[in-house]
Order: sequence, then C-alpha cells, then structure tokens
Amino acid sequence: MASSLNKPELIVNGKRLDGRDFNELRPLKIEANVLKNAQGSAYLEWGNNRVLAAVYGPKEAMPRHTADPTKGVVKCRYSMAPFSGLGEHGRSGPNRRAIEISKVTKEVFENVIFLNEFPGSEIDVFIEILQSDGGTRAAGITAAAVALANAGIKMKDLVYAVSAGRIGDHVVLDVNMIEDNYSDADMPMAISPKNNEILLLQMDGGLDTKQLKEGMEMVIEAGKVISKVQRDALKAIYESK
Amino acid sequence: MRQFVTPGEELPNDTKRNEYVMVSNGKAYSNILGFYDSDRKDIVPLEGLWKPRIGDSVIGVVERPTKPGIYNVKLTEFVQGLIITSKFDSGPSFEENDVIEATVANVERKRLAILERPRKLAVGQTIYVKPVRIPRIIGKSETMVSQISRLTGARIIIGRNGIIWLNGGNVALAIEAIKKVEREAHTSGLTEKIKSMLEAEV
Amino acid sequence: MRASDCMGAIEIIKSDYIRDLIAKGEREDGRKLLDYRNIELKTGIIDHAEGSAQVDVGNTRVLAGAKIVVDDVHSDTPDQGNIVISAELLPLAAAEYEAGPPSPEAIELARVVDRGIRAGNCIKLEELFLEEGKAWTVYVDVYVLNYDGNLFDASTLAAMAAIANAKLPAYKDGAADYNDRSKKLEISNMVASATFAKIGNAIVIDPSSTEESAMDARLTIATDGKVIRAMQKGLSGSFTLKEVEELTDIALEKHKELIKHIESSKR
Repeated sequence: MASSLNKPELIVNGKRLDGRDFNELRPLKIEANVLKNAQGSAYLEWGNNRVLAAVYGPKEAMPRHTADPTKGVVKCRYSMAPFSGLGEHGRSGPNRRAIEISKVTKEVFENVIFLNEFPGSEIDVFIEILQSDGGTRAAGITAAAVALANAGIKMKDLVYAVSAGRIGDHVVLDVNMIEDNYSDADMPMAISPKNNEILLLQMDGGLDTKQLKEGMEMVIEAGKVISKVQRDALKAIYESK
Repeated sequence: MRQFVTPGEELPNDTKRNEYVMVSNGKAYSNILGFYDSDRKDIVPLEGLWKPRIGDSVIGVVERPTKPGIYNVKLTEFVQGLIITSKFDSGPSFEENDVIEATVANVERKRLAILERPRKLAVGQTIYVKPVRIPRIIGKSETMVSQISRLTGARIIIGRNGIIWLNGGNVALAIEAIKKVEREAHTSGLTEKIKSMLEAEV
Repeated sequence: MRASDCMGAIEIIKSDYIRDLIAKGEREDGRKLLDYRNIELKTGIIDHAEGSAQVDVGNTRVLAGAKIVVDDVHSDTPDQGNIVISAELLPLAAAEYEAGPPSPEAIELARVVDRGIRAGNCIKLEELFLEEGKAWTVYVDVYVLNYDGNLFDASTLAAMAAIANAKLPAYKDGAADYNDRSKKLEISNMVASATFAKIGNAIVIDPSSTEESAMDARLTIATDGKVIRAMQKGLSGSFTLKEVEELTDIALEKHKELIKHIESSKR
C-alpha cells in the first residue's frame, strides 16, 4: 500500500477517478488465436492492461523429475515486460511477486484441465503483461483460459478472474493501479462459472464479513460479462473475416 | 444446424456421449471448443489433440536410436511412436531424422503408439495441420484428399497425428487447398469450393 | 490460422527439401531470392512506454518498447545520455525457446540491434543531457512474440520505430513527469538492417524459420541508406569477399523500402 501522504481522492461525487460506478468493469476486449507458433493464444485489453497469453503442450515433461506418471502437470510463467509500467523502467526476469502469481495461476488451471489425459506430460501456460494498470493477474488468468481452449486442451470449464476491493466504506469492482495503490483492500478471485467454484482467492487489507460477501457477489455478477467476452472471442476465430 | 460451444457450456441432454461431453448433475456439458450439430445430436471438436487409435496411419520423425532394433518416432509433442524390428527378420532399418509413414498397432499409457509396417518417405514437403481437422481433409471415402491430389498432381500422404507429406505436381497449390479445408472444416459445401478453387488455378 | 510447423523435429527434415528448392532458385513460400516477406508495422501500441512498435515480417512478430528515464551520467561521458537495447526471446514465441536468463542468441540479437542504432547515431547522446550530473537513458526492450526467422531485421525495425515514435517526459525539479509527454525524441538518422542466409551456394534475403534451419551462414548488414553502420556474420559457414560486397550494396538499397514502413506509420 502506498503512503497516505499523497493519497488522492479515489471517489468523487459517488464515482471513481476514471468515472466508473462501484460495480462497473473496465472495458474488456479479447482476441484469440493471435500467435502462429503457440498451440493456443489470446490477446486481451482490459482497461489499460495489455496481456498476451500462450499455451504449449501437452509435451514431454522436462526435466524428468517434474513429470508425474499418472497425470500431466501445469507449468505457468507470469512475467511483466520492462516497458509495462507507466514511469520507471522495470527489471527483466521474474521477481518474487511474479513467481507467486505464476504459482497461484498454475493452481487455478490444475483444477479445470483434464490432466489425467496426459500422463507424464506438461502443459505450459505463458502470461506476458505488455502493459499493466492493476488487476494483471486476473487479466492473465482470463486470457490464459481462452488460450487453453484455443489449444484444444480439455477443460471442465472456462475460468475467469477479476478483483474486488474496498475504498473507504465502498466495495468496488475491478481495481485499477492507482486504486490498488491507495485502496483499503484488494481481493483478486478466479471462478469456474459453471458452479461458481472459487479457484483463486487472495486478499490483502481489511474487509468485514458484509463487505466480503458484497465483493464476492460483485465478482460473480461481473463474471457473466467476462465469460461472454471470452466465449465470443473463441467463436470469433471461426467467423469469416 | 450447427452452434459453437466452449468448455463448460451446457448441451442439450440428448447429446451423444463422447469424449468431448461431460455429464454432471444430470446435465451435459462440452469440455472443448467445438460445435454442436443438432441434426446428428453430437459435438464435434474444432480444437483438440490427437489420441492414437489402433489402425491410425501416422507420419513421424525417427529419433536418435539408442538400442539396436528399437526406434523411437516423434509423432506429436506428446505421443511417441515405437518401432520394434525383430532380430530374426532382415527388417527395415532407419536413421535419425528419417521421415516415416506407419500404422498404429497398439497404444500404451495413452502416449506410446506401437507402430507396424513402417516405411521411409522420400524427401518431400511436410506440413502440420490440426489433427481434429484431418478427417475433413481426408473426406468421406477419401473424396477430399483424392480431389486435391488429382487436381494438383501432388502425391499426398496423410498422418492422423497432424503431419501431411506432399511431393510432385503443384505442391504449393495442394498446401493452399489443404490449409483452406483446415480453416473452414466446420462449414458446408467445402468439397465444391475446393474443386472450384483448384480448377480456377489449373 | 497456424501456418508454420510446430514440431521442432519437422524443421530438420525440411532442410534437405529447402536446399533442393533453393538450388533451383525457388523458395518455399514462392518468394524471389531477394524479396522480403510482407511487413506490417504499428506504432504507439503500448501507451505506458514512451515509444513502442510492433513489427511483423511474415509470421515473425516482434514488439519493442522504449522507456525514457532520468539517470546519473557516467563519469567518462558527463555531457551525454545513454541508450540501452535488450532483447528477449519469449518462451511463447517458439516451442524451442525456454524461460530463463538470456541465451547467447538473445544476447547476440540485442547487441547487433544496438550496434546498428548506436553506430548510426540515430539519437545524438548529447541531446539527452539534462543538467549537471543528469541525463536521459533510453531503454529499448525488444520482445520476440513469434519466431519465424529473421529476428534481426524485425527487431532493428521495431527498435528504430519505437525510438522514432517516442516522446520525452517533461523534466521538472530533477525528476521525470510521465503525465506530461509532449516533446518528441529527436532522431538524427534512421537505420535498418538486411539479413541474408547462405544455403548451399545461393543467398536469400529475409530467411524464414525453415530456411534458417537449412542455412550454413548468415550475414546481417545495418545501414542508414548511405553508409554501412554495422555488420554481423553468424553460424560457421563462410562468405566470399565478392558476396559481402554484393550484399552490402543490396542492404543499402533495401534501406529505403524498410524505413518506409516507419514513415508511413507516424502519428
């Protein structure tokens, strides 16, 4: 959380800094099948986020000690480009935050992919954040699900992700960078919409039980919109251009 | 009537059960990106992986031999082929990087295809197409591939694992036709479209 | 639509097929020996970067982002700023690419692109000077998104376009203000590179990935249209003196056609 010395007013006249209502999503666009070499891919624009997700596999799990003879394993690499942030030039290579995000993302997809169809193999999920403006792990998961479907990997469901947060007394949806820096709680979630199963849940800040419930319901409601954008992107691959 | 479906999307209850259909709580769902055909009441994948089946013709690349008489053949990133030549036969012998055509005799642990009748292919053009589109490229009773072969003069050998070998005639045109079928596999009237496209060029 | 072969093994067999074709003066995609594939160039796609460009050369796709930051000057060049070019072969760009520290290929790519732009004086480093002890550093990161041969030309073009399209942050009270980026970065020269692959006795320009798997030697020549600014030979095959002279002439000629893509995308 950033210092409160220069904290801007995040809510003015009942609207957020970018003009959104508390439960409003930023504009979301997804295009699937954008890379030639990857088995499956998706490019996503969510607010100012620009994310590229790609899938390779299943392929022989290497090094051997990472293989499971009974089922496939998911490997995920979430990475931010050095030019992705407004302001300073970022360092190359994964930092601790990126490694943690890679891990929780992997755990989302381990739930939905039919891993027992690919014993001894690995499925590689790559998430590159080309431009970041808050909520990149949710954007990455949302894009990666589309890339996996494009890759023909069997899944129980098409997962989506989005964050809820708290600014003062207000629970808000889809927190952007500046809100994330000064907000009082941030809660990214990934959901399997078929039965609203929560596959990723992280929280940082402070929420009472009422706010928690409100936040989760906002996420589920938003999921209907996000899922549609994902499914439309997949169907659009086959529409004549 | 055809309708696109995505993983997790609900299907009509009377959808034919196949590997792309999941059932839970009495409801049927797709686990793949594909389309639902309401006349045939089944789901056909638009994207998917090749599952080796006995009798499949495949094309693969021989890897560096590690044991005499046993050849590992790369069929896809996930499925390996295995050729075991008898020590009593003066059977065929292969070298690393040979491109071979063979038939799947047996499948073990989902990812090992025991191959029989291996045959080395001469130097030719090879392309990769999505294995789920291969049936459309072959066509009913091989009508599609024979048409392409006849109208371009190219010899075409198709591996169910997604590798196609071509030689002779107008290979570039044959590839263009095959790629068109791959892209439009889910549409109708394709045989006629391809025929017109090829006749226009020839 | 996926057009390229995604099995690494298949690339190996094709080298014989490619060699046979090239010996007959033909290329797999029907191009002439000295023709480039179709080039697409888009600038300004990453707003957070001070400059950005995405280049497609055939199916090779490269994204370059330029970030401009305030740095301390180096003691041996106290009146100059700096330009730093890096490259990453993202693991999503090809089945053969793995995550991890930059490979020798990635490092060579970055250094060759850097050499062309630096030797070409594309940015006058003295113009990056701000005040006593401070100057701008222009960081250009080249991200390879899809590999299908000739990363050198795609990367040089993308880096050049990102720089040509860059705007400087305002400099207030010793710090950069990224909310005010209105002044264009001054460009003194435009550099483009031409890469050639020698396959048997034939030489082709802009090799695809299958042609690269068949090539014996590679030569990348960066020019500004008048002067040759940088060269890099790769792989273990050889070139004759005559070949090098001919290729540098071609590279000088091709400069105009390549730079045109940057000019026509200016906003």
